[in-house]
Amino acid sequence: MKIPDLKSQYVWVTVALLAYIIPGVFPLGTGFPMSDTTMEIYDIVQSLPEGSICAIGGSGVFAFDLESSAGTIPALKIMAENGVRIINVPLGTEAVQYEKFLIDASRIETKYGGTHEYGTDWIQFPYIPGGASGLVAFLDDIHAASPADVYGTPLDELPLGRELTNWEDIDLWICPHWGFPTIVQYVTGERGITSISFAQSGAYARYSPYMMSYPGQVYMTNGFLGGAQMEQLVGMKGLGHAAIDAYQVLSLLFVVFVALGNATMLTAGEEE
Amino acid sequence: MGATLTYVRLNLSRVLIIVGALAALGTWYFSVPMVDSVFKEVNAWQINISSFTLFTGLMTISMRYIRAIQRRDSDIWPFQAYALVLIIVWVLMGLTVGMYSDTYQTAYLSTKITLHIAILGQIIFYFTSGAYRTFRIRTLRTAALAISAVLIVALNAPWVQNPFPAASNFAMWLLNNPQMAASRTVVITGGIGSIVLGIRVILGLEKGAQRITEGE
Repeated sequence: MKIPDLKSQYVWVTVALLAYIIPGVFPLGTGFPMSDTTMEIYDIVQSLPEGSICAIGGSGVFAFDLESSAGTIPALKIMAENGVRIINVPLGTEAVQYEKFLIDASRIETKYGGTHEYGTDWIQFPYIPGGASGLVAFLDDIHAASPADVYGTPLDELPLGRELTNWEDIDLWICPHWGFPTIVQYVTGERGITSISFAQSGAYARYSPYMMSYPGQVYMTNGFLGGAQMEQLVGMKGLGHAAIDAYQVLSLLFVVFVALGNATMLTAGEEE
Repeated sequence: MGATLTYVRLNLSRVLIIVGALAALGTWYFSVPMVDSVFKEVNAWQINISSFTLFTGLMTISMRYIRAIQRRDSDIWPFQAYALVLIIVWVLMGLTVGMYSDTYQTAYLSTKITLHIAILGQIIFYFTSGAYRTFRIRTLRTAALAISAVLIVALNAPWVQNPFPAASNFAMWLLNNPQMAASRTVVITGGIGSIVLGIRVILGLEKGAQRITEGE
């Protein structure tokens, strides 16, 4: 029996229906296993003492980095509850807007009824250009690399800004962007600060070996699955949970279509 | 370009490259405060220049688009005009309401980000359709490609991980061993290539990189 070759339209319609429209209207509530690494990350974030400083920064493109927000937002909520102070360090032009999105979406700011007051509990730095050089300059001398915050307010006029001198003030670095290798190299490798990446699944596949290179110092979660795991540990349902339904169906469809493609090829060969 | 100017341009850029490279390399090998401060100073210049390149990029693309719109010798000039209007609007908005304002953020999320996410969302359709067509196991190479792709997709999926929790360990093994070996090969090769290219630039053998070829 010859299996006919499917037109692309049929593949598209199947994907749209089964992976997007149906789970969008009727959430599947897909269960997922917890990962040991995600639990370690949760413990690290939870154990940060009150008043410690966590830098959130790196470089990436907003639309891609959105996948990282699934894990970062729960982490921000934990840190806000525990009184951990936050400095946002954008090393890419779009990172400023993305880091604002993270603060807004996590609702930790006082203007949203949260606990974190700008200038005292968190600061947003402006875009720091220069890539790795910019990061090194920032780590060596924060006031020299960026003497003012994103609004142009001198750091000396902000309570948290006055406390910042160099990398020794940073207790943890969270990278919610694609560009994790730069953070691993200069923040963890050279200065020994623990770093966490709520990585996009593409970035995870590429950079997860860093966890083996720096055991106990570099941690990564795996895409939306890792984000959903963080959400579950915090007790919330966000973007991670929503995306897991789609991934569950899509991953199955992917395997089915590859098998179908091969079956089509084999049966066509038999006919010939 | 005159020969004298070419000579100055060649040697000036070469001196800048050597000073920049030595300043960065020096901090690795010499624990001397002066070396460290020289690097910090050069690095600060580099960051300032990086900032300025954004402005240069804005000017360059604007000039290019304006020239294209004036000539109208290409079908894409209406899009270039549209892009030019958008550049002006966004720059003015950033300067007036502030890049970190809620207004700017809402506008940014509602346009650029939403569109970009929509484009990324479309990729999965091409991805699945492409997998159906191309991951057909005809040879050993296509078998390696198809099996690797299917394994990574499936091993990270809840429908495999829930009944077989050890699946994620196997996925990690794949990433940490075969994948890392191959990607390190690419990285090391690129690193060696960069060193060779750097030496060639310093020795003046890569004149194109120093933009002086038009003088010859």
